[in-house]
Amino acid sequence: MRIGLLTEGGYPYVGGEGGLWCDRLVRGLDRHEFDVYAFSSDEAQEDAGWVPLPPQVGRVRTAPLWTAEDDGVVYGRRARRLFSEHYGELAAALCAPADSSTTEADRFATALHGLAELARDQGGLVAALRSETAVRALERACRAPGARRTAREARVPDLLAVASHVERALRPLSLDWYQEDGLGVVDLCHATAGGVTALPGLLAHHFLGIPLLVTEYAVRLRTHYLTRPDSSPAVRSLLAAFHGRLAAETYRRATFVTPGDTHARRWQERCGADRSKLRTVYPGMDAAPFAEVGESPESADPHTLVWAGRVEPAKDLVSLLHAFAEIRTQEPKTRLRIIGGPTGPEGAAYLGHCKALAAHLFPDEADGPHAVGDNPVSFEELSGPGLRTPADAYAGAAVTVLSSVVEGFPAGLIEAMFCGRATVSTDVGAVVEAIGGTGLVVPPRNPRALAEACVSLLRDPERRARLGAAARARALELFTVDQNISAFLGLYLEIVARTPVRRPLLGDTGTPLPFAAPAEAHLPGHWTEPTPRAVPTWAMDTPVPATETTR
Amino acid sequence: MTDLDERNRTGAADPVKALLHRHNDLCLRAVDPLEIAAGLEAHGITDRTAARFRHRDVFSLAEELYARVPRDDPPPPTPPRTENSRPSTPTLLLPLLPGALCAAAVLALHRTHGENRLYAAATGILAVALALRAVLRRGPLSAPGHRHRPATTPWACWLIGYALLGDGLLHAAITGGPDGLPDGTDHGHWPLAAAPALALALACAPAAWTAHLFTAHARRRLVSSRGLEDFSASARPALFGAFALFLGALAAVLGMVSAVFDEPSAFAGTLALGALVFLARLLTVHGFTHAPKVMLSVTAIAQATALATVFAARLPGLGALSTPVETLTTAWGPAAVPTLTCGAAALVLLIHASRTLTRASAHLPGEHPR
Repeated sequence: MRIGLLTEGGYPYVGGEGGLWCDRLVRGLDRHEFDVYAFSSDEAQEDAGWVPLPPQVGRVRTAPLWTAEDDGVVYGRRARRLFSEHYGELAAALCAPADSSTTEADRFATALHGLAELARDQGGLVAALRSETAVRALERACRAPGARRTAREARVPDLLAVASHVERALRPLSLDWYQEDGLGVVDLCHATAGGVTALPGLLAHHFLGIPLLVTEYAVRLRTHYLTRPDSSPAVRSLLAAFHGRLAAETYRRATFVTPGDTHARRWQERCGADRSKLRTVYPGMDAAPFAEVGESPESADPHTLVWAGRVEPAKDLVSLLHAFAEIRTQEPKTRLRIIGGPTGPEGAAYLGHCKALAAHLFPDEADGPHAVGDNPVSFEELSGPGLRTPADAYAGAAVTVLSSVVEGFPAGLIEAMFCGRATVSTDVGAVVEAIGGTGLVVPPRNPRALAEACVSLLRDPERRARLGAAARARALELFTVDQNISAFLGLYLEIVARTPVRRPLLGDTGTPLPFAAPAEAHLPGHWTEPTPRAVPTWAMDTPVPATETTR
Repeated sequence: MTDLDERNRTGAADPVKALLHRHNDLCLRAVDPLEIAAGLEAHGITDRTAARFRHRDVFSLAEELYARVPRDDPPPPTPPRTENSRPSTPTLLLPLLPGALCAAAVLALHRTHGENRLYAAATGILAVALALRAVLRRGPLSAPGHRHRPATTPWACWLIGYALLGDGLLHAAITGGPDGLPDGTDHGHWPLAAAPALALALACAPAAWTAHLFTAHARRRLVSSRGLEDFSASARPALFGAFALFLGALAAVLGMVSAVFDEPSAFAGTLALGALVFLARLLTVHGFTHAPKVMLSVTAIAQATALATVFAARLPGLGALSTPVETLTTAWGPAAVPTLTCGAAALVLLIHASRTLTRASAHLPGEHPR
């Protein structure tokens, strides 16, 4: 199978977001070929270079999303009219009232395809999307009768902002990836995020009939809502419509959509994804570093609680400290270890605040009148002595606590589960889904409930052991890298079986050749093993990597 | 029943009201229910929290919140963004530098003789070029993004060089010369016209200031205008006003320089050249690089052709070639060639600018779409 992997700001680049996951996927499926089509998110990332690529990565093509080359094509009268028509349709679809359904979705899709065809046949779309024609079409759509109220109020700066954002979002349309020898050779496209990242997959589906699989660990539309709080209502409304329609179109065209957790799944359902297409694939984590700790539950100190993670206000350490004060009144010998560094200046300020609060709540104490005392709450960092890996952090404590008020998929909780430790966590994000009854869950911002749960676990070693073992078993079943990879492999095979790409072979006269592709050619994987005969190197058919940048 | 009980009872009957009160800002500014849902989730509200408000999930809770916020009154007008687009005083005073350096260089040329004069000229040209470069790199005359700078510099250099030496060369060529290289004075067989160059260098400052005026006015109108037509209608007079202001300033500077140096300067030719270079730069600053490049190159080629025809006419049999230029020169003097070429090009650029620079898309802060 040949898989076109679509990434944005991630995989082949060093330190890209989500790069680790893609790397594991590509390395895990070493019997299949991968073509990586990557968008870089900024210049620094391009300069940083790529991670070492395994041999199953056939070709890598990259394109910047942060800048666009104007190809110098100036539209003639006919092309300009076509562009104006398509862009007008797109704008009208954005300005339509929010509750109008399929007709507007079709309108958006038609306009998108029209623009893509224009870019493929004539080029020059970058300049056209920036032109006054585009802004005028947008203004017409906003002033048209029936436009939504927020769109009608759009002023000139709003129109310009929307036009420039749409131009940036539609940059993938101008790429030359949608050729027979580009995305045309892959069996399926796997978009590693929604939104703009999936746009090449949408176009490959439209032009070449390539099936599309979309994986979203964070829903793009939701991120979009949270990222531009300062814009005017008109800009927010139009851009929300654009991203909403793009997401709906992506979900409509995709063969499968794989959310990372129930939260993402609910958003996708809400944005119009068909339930029968949704397959939740949990992110996979490497269980090997935690194996030793997980197999030795007796190494834990029965009077220690641990919290591990990046320190930031959303983690609500203040609530944890108050809960710990409550715990100390009932179990005076308990100690709390807070392990992790701050993120950003806000996190550093918060960490200082927490340290001050801990010093205020808990005076230093000593074993006897002649010993040096210390604080029952210790703040440590992962690089400290005896704390080299996350496993060390969880190893020494009987109970792991998670006190966040906002959380996505709780990676720290999964690590604690791999370590076989009993956990107490707040009911946020995907916590309940991940823990699934193998740990205690309390409401967020409720120090008393948190304290009671911790005390009950501290007093019951047997229950701790039971919960810890169950948590480890659950994590090993659901959240390993292997299950992640095999889930994707299963989806790939199902897609190729259900919607295979038909490529009719043409003879010299241009007529289709019957029986040119034998049935074996549709088998997944290499059905012809490489010949064991010794072949001289000059006779080997070395594939020419069609990369834009040198590897 | 106490007041507290009363409050508790209403709270129990309508728990959403308390939530609405707590997230009032979010609900007021949201453009659709999904935005409220995203905001609520960012505050830690999950489906299980929503169940306490008798809703199936956060989305339906957000829909209720969205529906319950009164939306009949228009939202408060967004305050105009107070961008600090005002350049600092050093940036505004920097354009004075080329003029000052050029004045010093011209003074040095007048005071020196022989080999020293050559050195003075070289130093002066270098200093003015560096100062010009600085002016074009920062402040109102700087172009955004240095990635694709079209090669207009050689053409502009030719045009300025022609203003310095061209008229003298043309006159010498028609009268049978030149007999040697120019000696850097304003008399002799190939005179150097320093006044136009000095006037142009001094005009850098008004050029930068008027360009800044135009840009600032356009940005202001961008925020306040209702539609694109409205904006164009108000930007056009601003463009012509800025252009006229620059021409007036250049004329004043030119008159002053002529008076000080007491030499007859090619008034019309210099004005036309100044207008051409100003418009070309204004277009480039706003991201329109194609038209300036074409017009500058066409003008330079036209001037070079005029010179070449005069020299080519000396070849046997080609005498008729120089007739147009010679007719022109005898009628209006050698300054007619730059006046006509630059004037025509400036007119074309002015018409182009009145169509492109009055578009709203030319004034997007930060980026410059076309």
